[in-house]
Amino acid sequence: MKRTVFVLLIVSALFSCQRQGSESASVPVIALVMKTLNNPFFIEMQEGAQAAATALQAKLLVQAPERELDVEKQMQIIENLIQRKVAAICVTPSGSKEIIPAIIKANQAGIPILVVDTRVDSAALAEAGAQIATFIGSDNFDGGRMAGRMIIEKLGGKGNIAILEGVPGHETGDSRLRGFHHEVDKAAGISIVASQTANFERDQGYSVFQNILESQQKLDAVFACNDMMALGAVEAIAAANRGGQIVVVGFDAITDAREAIKNGAMTASIAQNPRDMGKIAIENALHLIKGESIPEYIPVKIDLIQ
Amino acid sequence: MRMHSLWQQHGRQLGTLIGLLGLSAVLWILTPHFMTISNWLNITQQTAINAIIAVGMTFVIISAGIDLSVGSILALSGVVMAGALKADVPLSLALLFGLAAGFFCGCMNGVLISRGKLPPFIATLGMMSVARGVVLIITDGRPISGFAPSFRVFANAEFLAIPIPVWIMALVYLIAHLVLTRTKLGRYTYAMGGNEEATVLSGVHVRFHKTMIYGISGLLSGLAAVLLTARLNSAQPIAGMMYELDAIAATVIGGTSLLGGEGRIAGTLIGALIMGVLRNGLNLLGVSSFVQQTVIGAVIIVAVLLDMAMKKRRI
Repeated sequence: MKRTVFVLLIVSALFSCQRQGSESASVPVIALVMKTLNNPFFIEMQEGAQAAATALQAKLLVQAPERELDVEKQMQIIENLIQRKVAAICVTPSGSKEIIPAIIKANQAGIPILVVDTRVDSAALAEAGAQIATFIGSDNFDGGRMAGRMIIEKLGGKGNIAILEGVPGHETGDSRLRGFHHEVDKAAGISIVASQTANFERDQGYSVFQNILESQQKLDAVFACNDMMALGAVEAIAAANRGGQIVVVGFDAITDAREAIKNGAMTASIAQNPRDMGKIAIENALHLIKGESIPEYIPVKIDLIQ
Repeated sequence: MRMHSLWQQHGRQLGTLIGLLGLSAVLWILTPHFMTISNWLNITQQTAINAIIAVGMTFVIISAGIDLSVGSILALSGVVMAGALKADVPLSLALLFGLAAGFFCGCMNGVLISRGKLPPFIATLGMMSVARGVVLIITDGRPISGFAPSFRVFANAEFLAIPIPVWIMALVYLIAHLVLTRTKLGRYTYAMGGNEEATVLSGVHVRFHKTMIYGISGLLSGLAAVLLTARLNSAQPIAGMMYELDAIAATVIGGTSLLGGEGRIAGTLIGALIMGVLRNGLNLLGVSSFVQQTVIGAVIIVAVLLDMAMKKRRI
């Protein structure tokens, strides 16, 4: 009796979940697999992709692991989408090397992979003999340089800087950091007094920067490898009553960050255009499905928002 | 005396099995991509890691304990193994190091609980943080990736058309079932969970057996680390976060009581499969990941509610 209730409950839960009706064979199904849906950056990307899919009459499946860095769950999603026989998979890799086994599986199934936003480690990709159709994204190295130049200019070439790093070993954060160092390391008057990871997260950005503030009485600027950490740092600065004394530069120009820049709590952010990324990804996936060739790198422009 | 029919002995497991079959039937109707051999190989392969960790969790929970450190121990075993492989240690020795690291951490849990008299929740919560911290220290937060094909067999190879991880999972379940039903350790696990004081008074060396139970849990986390590291071709210091909750969920859905003293290993396998099938099915249907979390949570709650209701009826 009770067992029947249990089964019925699952049945009804599933039926209520099935929002899409039966799809006709002529509509291509494209999957967009993201790192997370808890970050406005990826939500904007999803919106861009959805708009393009609707305009071009494709069916879009959006999936993401529950946590941003869960590479294994992301791999499960890709495996499941291969079973689903989607026509193309656009993915923002949770790990630039860890994604490769999943790419190989898609290769074997003959499903093209379009990598978006975060690069796949190209050496490891070549070594594994895996193939991606294209990389669609901004040059994070250039973005890091842009942030570096901006801070040097703001400080008049002299001052103490702290850095909030992304997840160690993560390509996106690493190239931003390298780009930033590329500019800042050659500026004689600038010294980097602290550089710690806050794993791209807002709450960690807050607590890590609180500790940095505690230990560095003289601090003029902070560069955070994404806006979530920068916003955490902004809150830590406010809590320490040092608002207005520290230049805060983030990366991604998410809505909250634009808001903070407008009201003066944050100085600047580097804008990638996630909406464009989503749109370009879907357009190119459709080119591939039609059998047309696409370039192996499709750059998406970056802007300085201040 | 009550009649011991099949249903009375295995009622709870059969209930869970019917749940799994019902779920599969529904997915079969909803999507043509679900009931295929390749998808089932896919699901079982995806389930293997959680299912193996859940075996250790089942032992621990039957003994009325809990192990929150499994995910961190998995990460530690993974980087120890990966580090050894990168240092050109022979494969068998590297595996041994990784498994030994897991077993050692598990035994530390056991000692803290049985000798130190710490509540299992606290001891393993501490170990969760300590092991994770050690991993971050030794790796400097960076993943260790890229291994020889000889190691990748744990992810890629097949035997009789079935992937190796699935064979390993099957073997672990078979052994665990035998240990739990046919050995002293198994009997004592139930006894400790049922009434620890009585078990002590009846002369059982509780401290040793408890240490072994947590050691097994750590060892199996190490084994899961082998599969995960091979699967991703990378040992990540942040691997295994929240895996303890998946393992506890599989165990509980499978009918093991959190109060201890009862539970069966086959139930845990079905529990783990239910979670794997649900995730797979929701992906195939293109359900948003937010809804997925809600559905999985609801299934856990319903399974336990059902368990309690059935117990009440039996009394």
